[in-house]
Amino acid sequence: MKDRLSVVGKSVRRIDALDKVTGRAKYCIDLKVDDMLHAKLLRSPYPHARVTKIDTTRAENHPRIRAIATIDEVPRVVGYWWNLRTEKAMKRMYLQDNVVRFRGDPVLGVAADDEESAQEALSLIDVEYEELPALFDPIEAMKEDHLKIHEGGNIAIHVAKKFGDVDQGFKQADYVFENRFVTSKQKHASIEPIGTAIADYGRSGRLTVYTSTQLPHWSRIYLAGALGLPVNRVRVIKPYTGGAFGGRCGLIHGLEVMCCFLSRKAGRPVKMSFSREEDFEATEARHPFIIELKTGVTKDGILTANSIKLILDVGGYGTHYIGVLADALSTGVGLYRCPNVTFEGYCVYTNKSLNGAFRGYGNPQMNFAQESQMDMIAEKLAMDPVEFRVKNYRGLGEIDPVFDVPIRSDGMKDCLAKGAKKFGWNKKRTRKVDEGTKRRGVGMSCLQHGTGARFGLPDPASAIVMLNADGSANLLTAAADDGQGNRTVLAQIAAEELGIPLEQISVSDTDTDVAPLDGGTHGSRQTYCGGLAVKRAAADAKMALLRFASQHLNVEEKSLEIKDGVVYDVKDRSTNIRVGDLMRKVQIEDLSRCEQIIGYASGVAPAMPPTFGAHFAEVEVDMETGEVYVVKLVGAFDVGRAINPANVEGQIIGGEAMGIGYALTEGLIIDNGKIVNNNFTDYRILRACDVPQIDAIIVESNEPTGPFGAKGIGEATMVGTAAAIANAIYDAIGVRMKELCITQEKILEAIDRGARASGV
Amino acid sequence: MTKRDISICVNGKWYELAVEPYETLLDVLRDRLGHTGTKSGCAKGECGACTVNIDGKAILSCLTLAVQVDGKEILTIEGLHKGAEPHPLQEAFVKQAAVQCGYCTPGMIMNAKALLNHNSNPSEKEVRKTLSSNLCRCTGYERPVKAILEAATIMRGKDER
Repeated sequence: MKDRLSVVGKSVRRIDALDKVTGRAKYCIDLKVDDMLHAKLLRSPYPHARVTKIDTTRAENHPRIRAIATIDEVPRVVGYWWNLRTEKAMKRMYLQDNVVRFRGDPVLGVAADDEESAQEALSLIDVEYEELPALFDPIEAMKEDHLKIHEGGNIAIHVAKKFGDVDQGFKQADYVFENRFVTSKQKHASIEPIGTAIADYGRSGRLTVYTSTQLPHWSRIYLAGALGLPVNRVRVIKPYTGGAFGGRCGLIHGLEVMCCFLSRKAGRPVKMSFSREEDFEATEARHPFIIELKTGVTKDGILTANSIKLILDVGGYGTHYIGVLADALSTGVGLYRCPNVTFEGYCVYTNKSLNGAFRGYGNPQMNFAQESQMDMIAEKLAMDPVEFRVKNYRGLGEIDPVFDVPIRSDGMKDCLAKGAKKFGWNKKRTRKVDEGTKRRGVGMSCLQHGTGARFGLPDPASAIVMLNADGSANLLTAAADDGQGNRTVLAQIAAEELGIPLEQISVSDTDTDVAPLDGGTHGSRQTYCGGLAVKRAAADAKMALLRFASQHLNVEEKSLEIKDGVVYDVKDRSTNIRVGDLMRKVQIEDLSRCEQIIGYASGVAPAMPPTFGAHFAEVEVDMETGEVYVVKLVGAFDVGRAINPANVEGQIIGGEAMGIGYALTEGLIIDNGKIVNNNFTDYRILRACDVPQIDAIIVESNEPTGPFGAKGIGEATMVGTAAAIANAIYDAIGVRMKELCITQEKILEAIDRGARASGV
Repeated sequence: MTKRDISICVNGKWYELAVEPYETLLDVLRDRLGHTGTKSGCAKGECGACTVNIDGKAILSCLTLAVQVDGKEILTIEGLHKGAEPHPLQEAFVKQAAVQCGYCTPGMIMNAKALLNHNSNPSEKEVRKTLSSNLCRCTGYERPVKAILEAATIMRGKDER
């Protein structure tokens, strides 16, 4: 089949690359609308307080201030599209009270003629607060019942799930391992700061919002609800986006809704841009987890029981916590064949900046714990960690108990084998190179990560394919591209299905007025879910086209094929017509017809296939300074089929680099509710000189439900990086690191602990 | 504070401007001249997204006051290509799939341009060292490094012809 494909499977150039390298691509931060105002937020200096009085008199007298909107009138959007299913649940999305729940929580917004005036106005507003006691530790917050961060209490949700009989399972075990792991609050740190929007509330009651959202259509519905508008009156336009990684997976706290209210009040468009510091301090981050893991195993390396307890720090407001908790299940329950599992999770509010969606959702956290634990078990059993995984992972044909569906494509063994070979696993494991104060170590991990959200959330995808009179086509899709390249991939899928060259496909802007309902760019879903919709829409157009071709060529439809823009009879290639000639006839020449062929598709993908993967890491630890240097990383991923291999490799290498940061350097430090490292000097993401050699391996298992066999990739790429590195560090220094991020200080402490334990 | 009159040349065109003493070159380029190809990522010299060239050297426009560049010639990402033909660096970034979200790309390319101005044959290590002043969250830097090395080779070939 591969040979017959024209454009799928090829590393074609991105359709947007030339605009980006020439500086022509407009990001939200670059946009201007005529007559627009500039807005700024006044943010709470307290982690927990009640706003008792707001005096705006002095600011209102400022000649360049046009509107002020306060916490008393502007609702905060909490929850996520799970809430859209019922009217009652949707009502709960709009939280309106006068309590601020973290340092930096917006109290009011001011719109002025220019940014300086807006900033100036903030100092003219007097706010009185009644300070409330603040809770920063989720364990403390769980216990407190007299001090509630939200009306319903501090536990946002408690989930308990049971598979089999764990007590029985632990009885069958020869060994039981019990460990506690802690993970950090990682920030997306996309280079375009999170938090620019323009709202234009037109006088005719039409609201247009420009925002770099991953969810144009869900955002449209959220905004309609917040403003009390019918959905058709709201238009969301997503310009080019400077990276998202989950950070734009919904409305931004204090941004779009505030701009809309200010615009409605002022009768003019309003733009607001958060600074880098505001991005760090007051937009969503990755949920920190506390993980208690107890695993039973037999001498032969068969898992008999797994008990998982999770505490998620939600922060001041909850958005994605249910989904994040659910995704932890994919590793905790789905990855390994273990008949007896209990899973218990608490999502807890604290008076800190909010946590939400971030590449991998809850999987990188859970995978760090589970894969560290698996490493400990393999060591105890004196088994090769790779073999131990091969023995226990849930593969082809087996039922994933979380979703109760069979696994239809499984490249895990290939990922492990090819990754190990490329890495030189066997050689490196046995031959240790230690020099002076430096110790080398190797480690690995594996993972699975579901594609899309079919079984968890409303997960629609739609596409429209319109054929033009010259045989070219326009693809209308609202699948947000935040830089991954999915618009290019979708164009490849449309071109392949239609049988026309890639250059003859144009992809629409991401605009809810133009492109139909889409569930957003999250869950590594656009190649798979978006791709399936595009493929079906293209097939729909193709069917109509072949019907006309059949009449014109006097050949049965089923004997017709299209390739390189020509419709031909498979039995006799000399009977053919160019798609352009046919379309011109249908649309223009034939006066009795004059019809445009429009194919469309809308609906949900049939499955949620797991992407499999394996990471191999080699590290060098300086025993004197505690410094860790990642020498080599190999990431092997089963993507079903790589529609655009260069894009897949880009995801793998970029994800691994982000994973190194998660393992070693990235974690927001919070002191008394204040985020201390709110800049790129103190919050360290990797620079070019820090990134080691990263080898990306693509494994193609051909997912039968996927478009041309494809499934997802984006998130999986960093799911197991931290575990592989932590396991390599253990191999190097002999002490287990159970807390992310693994800083120099923690390593030194661990070396010290290790030395004391062994009596040195 | 009183405004100061300056004249600057951006991509070959001279502009006479009255600027506030505190206005940065980045703000002048983006807000006054509409050259939004130069990006703002941190506004304090940490991310490199705002890199432009002055006198062939890489300059962080967010840390440069407009009054400091009075009389200077400034090259931004918008001035790099000749007509419809992209600069070899731009072409290599596209070809090598070195662009993902693209937000850091103009800064990377302008930084690389300055490097190649004084070192036409850099080693991978030198490219990585230079590129270390540009933060990128998407690519892991591998393909941008490749693209710059490829552009260097092509540019050397062109000089020889």
